[in-house]
Amino acid sequence: MAVLQLQQVEKSYGRIKALNGVSFEVPEGSVYGILGPNGSGKTTLLSIILDVLKADKGDYKWFGEPGSPAIRKKIGSLLETPNFYHYLSGANNLRVTQSISERGTKNSIDEVLQKVKLAERKNSRFSSYSLGMKQRLAIGAALLGNPRVLVLDEPTNGLDPVGIAEMRELIKDLHRQGHTIIMASHLLDEVEKVCTHVAILKTGNLITHGAVDEVLVDEDIIEIGAEDDELLTKVLMEFAGYTQMKKDGNYFHLYFEKGTAKPEEINAFCFSKGLTLSHLVFRKQRLEAKFFELTGN
Amino acid sequence: MLKILRTEWLKIRNYWAFWLVMLMTAAAYPGVNYLFWHEYQDLTKRKDAGQVVKFLLGNPFELPETFHTTAFFSSIFVFIPAIVIIMLITNEYTYKTSRQNIIDGWSRNNFLIGKFFNVLIISLLVSILFTVVSVVVGKVATAKEVADPWSQSKYIWLFALQTFAQLSIAFLVGFLIRRSFIALGVFVFYYIILENAAVGISKVKKLHFGEYLPLEISDKMIPPPAFFGRLDEATYKTNLAAIDRHVLYTVILTALVWAICYIVNKKRDL
Repeated sequence: MAVLQLQQVEKSYGRIKALNGVSFEVPEGSVYGILGPNGSGKTTLLSIILDVLKADKGDYKWFGEPGSPAIRKKIGSLLETPNFYHYLSGANNLRVTQSISERGTKNSIDEVLQKVKLAERKNSRFSSYSLGMKQRLAIGAALLGNPRVLVLDEPTNGLDPVGIAEMRELIKDLHRQGHTIIMASHLLDEVEKVCTHVAILKTGNLITHGAVDEVLVDEDIIEIGAEDDELLTKVLMEFAGYTQMKKDGNYFHLYFEKGTAKPEEINAFCFSKGLTLSHLVFRKQRLEAKFFELTGN
Repeated sequence: MLKILRTEWLKIRNYWAFWLVMLMTAAAYPGVNYLFWHEYQDLTKRKDAGQVVKFLLGNPFELPETFHTTAFFSSIFVFIPAIVIIMLITNEYTYKTSRQNIIDGWSRNNFLIGKFFNVLIISLLVSILFTVVSVVVGKVATAKEVADPWSQSKYIWLFALQTFAQLSIAFLVGFLIRRSFIALGVFVFYYIILENAAVGISKVKKLHFGEYLPLEISDKMIPPPAFFGRLDEATYKTNLAAIDRHVLYTVILTALVWAICYIVNKKRDL
């Protein structure tokens, strides 16, 4: 069953179209990455599904039902910047979150503060926190009561490298436990490492969506290297079946239509031409390259 | 409903600025009435004109007249609790916690109900404080036994309604403007200068629009105390006769203020 279904969602700010008929489904238990350059509509999309913004057209459903306060209480969310009362301590801010969301027990606050490493500063005012600490408190608030669904907008914002690695592990851990996580990010490396599914937005339009492997692998790439570059070029020119050839550093990249690349055939062909390969790797296209290709950046 | 109240309490429980302004409010009401009472005592004790002043003014602080007099003087200071109201609503927009409350599971109506309770409870606290001040001043200032000391106690609920109405307007200003300093500036400027100037012009030009201005509508529920009647009896009687009409206007205006808040809150993006 889909945790979230979006159907033809549209939103405009004056003459600017922030979302243009976006539709996709988030499967239960997935880590769903929403990618896009700045201004592509990621935060607008998350704001609509959290009822902060009203869609002009289209609708969305959580667990097959229209969005409602009761459903939002079951979802741990971090949207844009961490939003807390600056004059309250971290622990008191989480008490407000708990009072509204009704998630977790009294002990849950201490547990999440331990989890996000803020236990020692729990009585300090929020305004005295560093950017990373504020972000960690927001993640703590989203984790209160161990919700089955999390919506995280740029969750690694403001975190140091250790914090980013911890965040990555936390998401993987939550995924292993069966949680569904919807996260918007511009950090392609992060998305590639933790997401099972991805939707790519560009200027409000959904460019592609689906399982990461399906989105990324729409062509096969074989990376080849040999001692004699000149001879390798000559031999590869004679080889048929690939769609394009590129030189990237010390290696050549041969692009094939999906499912047609056969490394053993290339190896045998080169050997028959008197060339011994020193490097032969079957590669998946990196998300970064795919992202730039799709968004035209 | 109790959960909303509890959440609002969690928000203000450790907010020192809130308690500071509430402390200022608590000091202002007894303070201003004590000041006027002290001034009255000074005037009436003077050997040269004391008896004349006493003859002209009577004793406006005696029971039951004290309810009217203290209500009139106290109503001048509604702008102090109005600061609290504006702070509480604009904070929600400054820190973007209004949207976080919705994200965490409140409906937009829950949010507005929470703020409505803030205005209502602060109005009640101010009214209780006013009542205590009135009774204390009345007891101290009344030398003889009075047949019906509570005969003018209607000014307690008139004061409560006026406070709630004017704090609701302060809330509307904060709710629409969303920025603390601008909202405070606009409200205080309107409260102290603009409306008073407009009311003054309407009186001088003998136009009647002044009495229908947002704050004046509820100000008219508590006309100047009885001693003004000794100076201009006709105006005093006209003012007294207008109270009931202005109660109705105040209720309608306050309902309109909250209706605007409800509609805007329902439709606007957070």
